[in-house]
Amino acid sequence: MMPAIAGKREFKVKQAILKGVYEDNLKVVGKCAHPLAKKPSLFRNKILLFVAMSLITLLGYGTSSNLSSSPVKQFALSPANTRTPSPPSSEKTLNPSDYAAFLNGREPLSRVFGLGVRTIMIDPGHGGSDSGTSGKMGTHEKDMVLDIAKRLRERLRKHSYYTVLMTREQDVAVPLNKRVELANAAKADLFVSIHLNYLPSKPINMIETYYFGPSSDPKTLKLAEQENAGSRYGMSDFREIIEKIGETIKLQESKQLATSIQKKLFVNSREQNGNVYDFGIKRAPFVVLLGVDVPAVLAEVSCLSNREEEIELNTESHRENIARYLEAGILDYLSKGDLRYEAKREQ
Amino acid sequence: MKQKESSKEDNILFVGIDLGTSRSSISASNDTREWVESYVGWPRDFISLQVVGKPVLFGAEALKNRLSLDLCRPLEHGVIKEGIEKSEEAVKEIIKYLIDLAKPESGQKIYAVVGVPADTLKVNKLAIRKAVAEFVHSLMVVSEPFAVAYGMNLLNNALVIDIGAGTTDFCIMHGTIPAEEDQKTILNAGDDIDEKLFSYLTEKYPNSRFNKNMVRQFKEQYSFVRETPGDIRVEIPVDGKPVMHDIKNEIRRACENILPAIVETTTEMIARFDPEFQVKIKNNIVLSGGGSLIRGIREYVQDSLKEYGSCSVTCVEDPLFAGSNGALKLAEDMPAKYWEPL
Ligand SMILES: Nc1ncnc2c1ncn2[C@@H]1O[C@H](COP(=O)(O)OP(=O)(O)OP(=O)(O)O)[C@@H](O)[C@H]1O
Ligand SMILES: [Mg+2]
Ligand SMILES: [Zn+2]
Repeated sequence: MMPAIAGKREFKVKQAILKGVYEDNLKVVGKCAHPLAKKPSLFRNKILLFVAMSLITLLGYGTSSNLSSSPVKQFALSPANTRTPSPPSSEKTLNPSDYAAFLNGREPLSRVFGLGVRTIMIDPGHGGSDSGTSGKMGTHEKDMVLDIAKRLRERLRKHSYYTVLMTREQDVAVPLNKRVELANAAKADLFVSIHLNYLPSKPINMIETYYFGPSSDPKTLKLAEQENAGSRYGMSDFREIIEKIGETIKLQESKQLATSIQKKLFVNSREQNGNVYDFGIKRAPFVVLLGVDVPAVLAEVSCLSNREEEIELNTESHRENIARYLEAGILDYLSKGDLRYEAKREQ
Repeated sequence: MKQKESSKEDNILFVGIDLGTSRSSISASNDTREWVESYVGWPRDFISLQVVGKPVLFGAEALKNRLSLDLCRPLEHGVIKEGIEKSEEAVKEIIKYLIDLAKPESGQKIYAVVGVPADTLKVNKLAIRKAVAEFVHSLMVVSEPFAVAYGMNLLNNALVIDIGAGTTDFCIMHGTIPAEEDQKTILNAGDDIDEKLFSYLTEKYPNSRFNKNMVRQFKEQYSFVRETPGDIRVEIPVDGKPVMHDIKNEIRRACENILPAIVETTTEMIARFDPEFQVKIKNNIVLSGGGSLIRGIREYVQDSLKEYGSCSVTCVEDPLFAGSNGALKLAEDMPAKYWEPL
């Protein structure tokens, strides 16, 4: 590199330059009285980051087949003020602290189990310019599901223990994102989305209930695409999150809820009209189910492509019945939740 | 040497950070070398958050998920956009991310030298300090070409030309910390090449679909000036079918486009000095930054300057880390007394 003789001169030049850098920086700081407010140390930030990361890991990857007590403690961690740098301006924007709050917002296990369920959010699909599917006689999915949802609300309210809310109460368009936000903001404990099916190829009546998850069935994917219409997300966006989501508590509970609702809906509907098919519970990547933090299902309670069913749906009594079956399904899930919780405690 | 020993005692981690318009890198005294593209993205809403799975994304990953994100390139035109808090937050996120990549031990003090584009330094020195302060124990901000020069021991009679994305920065070294007139910034740089290439290609192939990202990748793969052997052909879909496109001339034109301004600025800056010093500088010109990777650029600049007498141009070995390595060297050489706690 440099010849040895130059060493001493170079050293001097360097010292001058380094001093220059120092003074230059000092000038900047000097301009302002206290430009650098004392900030939390990096170390503390790192601890918070670590806590946040463990939560993410726990929720994202943690399988919870063994619902031991340790995850409960993690879930219950208070949303300590984990404020870290965040993008302000647009109110829609999330920042890391929102994320932490969002994760921490997942309540203790008892609530997820159904034991502490107080608030139920009912989500009548579509609305406004989005009619959903329509029958040959001109019956719109959006109108039927709104009426059924209102009836379900009245029924559940009779139990006085529950607060029952709806994502829409009128014939208005509510974006899927908004529905999710409403549910999360209301701290809903359960989320039930109500839709009607349409099966052009077969003139049958069918009932099916979905919870969030991957699906390889092309028909299911097609349906999901229809129900997701209006969100900015495509199917490919979900692939990654589906892989990550794993068997979380939310998914397990959603599956239980779907099972209860599907069973009550189908068994009772069949008593009314034997010509109905049980398509069972399925997983599908519906936007609304993904976004909500708590057990969430989407029930296709009837089928508008079936002429008989379209006629029936136009009668109040049929819609009241469907509401009754949904109510029974939800209560079935909740009572099982109690039992499951008791069983765990016995162990 | 001494400095290093004392750092062991106090348990200090020295870091050099190069905060660029397109890429940012970190070099640390624990031998970490990491970089990230200077893009930061925050999920737009709950769904996006679940889709992308993290509260903040960086670089290529942020670009890939841009539809779900609020994307920010904080130093886009070489400066933090005044009053835009988001850019400041994005700078913070990048700094935090890079420092985490350097894996400081718990309890270790972090002394940082941060190199920023020369114009950012003039306009936003305080903003940069604020953005970084949260994550370090002591801090100095310098101009990026100066950090490159210091790192290569070019303390005297030298000119560094840093051809980055948003800007090309010039810095003349004459044995002291460079004054304002020793540094100059022009906008003829990588982004400029991308824009030109994009318009040349859309002009030549109106039916093919190009996007800015694609075009940048072509450039980074094939960039050259003057002549290069062989064809340059790329596959681009036309009406859904992949079709080969010859892009050699367009690449050349786009790359050569920034050179006249660079040569002109160089001669202008050198001309201010007396002839003896001019000769010395001209024999000690160093190209750095991503733009120095363009094939044939060294020869082009050298030949253009030869018109006015002998001249020698070289390229830095590792343009990606030349800035952060230089900043690290500054940090390690800095006498302990100059590190003031924040
Ligand atoms: N092989 C290559 N040929 C031509 N250009 C390249 C090549 N590799 C990278 N680049 C370009 O170099 C630029 C990035 O260089 P660099 O990392 O030095 O910029 P930066 O420091 O982020 O920008 P700035 O110095 O303006 O702040 C980009 O425009 C990139 O496309
Ligand atoms: Mg740079
Ligand atoms: Zn529907």
